Amino acid sequence: MVPFYILLPVSILAGFVGAMAGMGGGVILIPALTLLGVDIKHAIAISILSVIATSSGSASAYVRDHITNLKVGMFLEMFTIVGALAGATITMVSSPRPLYIMFGSVLLGSWFALLWTKHLTWHEGEQDRFSRWLELEGSYYDAAAQKTITYKGRRAYLGAPLMFGAGLIAGLLGIGAGAVKVLIHDLVMGLPPKVSTTTSNLIIGVTALAGSSVYLIHGLIDPGLAAPVVVGVVAGAFLGTRVLVRISNQSVRRFFLVILIGLAAEMILRGIRGH
Amino acid sequence: MDSESRAHALKSSGGLIQQEKMDLLLGYLLLSGVGLSMSLIIVGLIWRFFRIGHFSLDHQLAGMNLFEFLLTEIRMATSGDVSPRTLIDGGIAVLMLTPYLRVLASMLYFMLGLKNWKYTLFTGIVLAVLTFSLFIR
Repeated sequence: MVPFYILLPVSILAGFVGAMAGMGGGVILIPALTLLGVDIKHAIAISILSVIATSSGSASAYVRDHITNLKVGMFLEMFTIVGALAGATITMVSSPRPLYIMFGSVLLGSWFALLWTKHLTWHEGEQDRFSRWLELEGSYYDAAAQKTITYKGRRAYLGAPLMFGAGLIAGLLGIGAGAVKVLIHDLVMGLPPKVSTTTSNLIIGVTALAGSSVYLIHGLIDPGLAAPVVVGVVAGAFLGTRVLVRISNQSVRRFFLVILIGLAAEMILRGIRGH
Repeated sequence: MDSESRAHALKSSGGLIQQEKMDLLLGYLLLSGVGLSMSLIIVGLIWRFFRIGHFSLDHQLAGMNLFEFLLTEIRMATSGDVSPRTLIDGGIAVLMLTPYLRVLASMLYFMLGLKNWKYTLFTGIVLAVLTFSLFIR
């Protein structure tokens, strides 16, 4: 059992770094907990519980700012929750080694995504009939541009199965998989970056809940771990979002790229070595 | 952004004022859920520290679904057996209930507020799957 006085600061740090990178605490928390000797399945279960807290906390602010698109969120949640249930069930029957390797691979994927999204710019496109039927359009007031941005979500027929995959990753590895969801929103469904980030945040909470339900029923939600970790990650994320506005995007990106590649390599090697 | 320009942007098309109200309701629901959950856990931890001199917890949650978990918590609380453990477990239960209640509120909004049957159905599906995984299985 990892002592409380170690768990709390590690969780605060994970929440802090995750929030600064805009990726949630899970990607840092799980490798950190396993390094402290926590079994990877327990780490995944506790991490996904903390994801509910961080995503619900930040979604509450975004929803009140009227940027989140509730229809996009509700439509895609149908797919992410089924994915999360499937993913968490796979974790329960899997041995630890493949979980380490998969986790490391997702970190590597996020590393490339972080490099790649730097060059993305949002542009409007034609809405298909299915997305029109789903009423995936919306508008929000952009304070930076000082104008109302109107958009039409598209290719929902492709976004939906891909979101099942994002939910699968979230449930399987105990992370929000926000980077994957944002990529799907941006690249496939043509949502403006702000709408895609905030709507993804809303979806993450419900997806994490579906995954947590599987871990709860299998007795993996250990209050001794959960209490300090959830409080720590939320406190860290709260601090991280406040520091984020004071330091440049570029330095955050560079800092996070280094951490991400290091953790990815560490997790994959542990999976290969088996300890 | 000043509130006037935002209000103007929102009122420019029909139905958006109602959406604004719903956004506020959902936002405050999420905020209250996370706030209550964190408060319960923190108070529980502090109480435990003053009672036994350390924060560490050693009890386990035997595999049960959220419904059984909630029932156990409520039973302990109503029988006067409120302990740090009850508060900490209660905080975890409230945390898990928060997104569930958000989906329930969204469904009621689509059904009663917007009378949008398509999205009432979609939200109903999400709620049904969550209910199955949290309360029935």
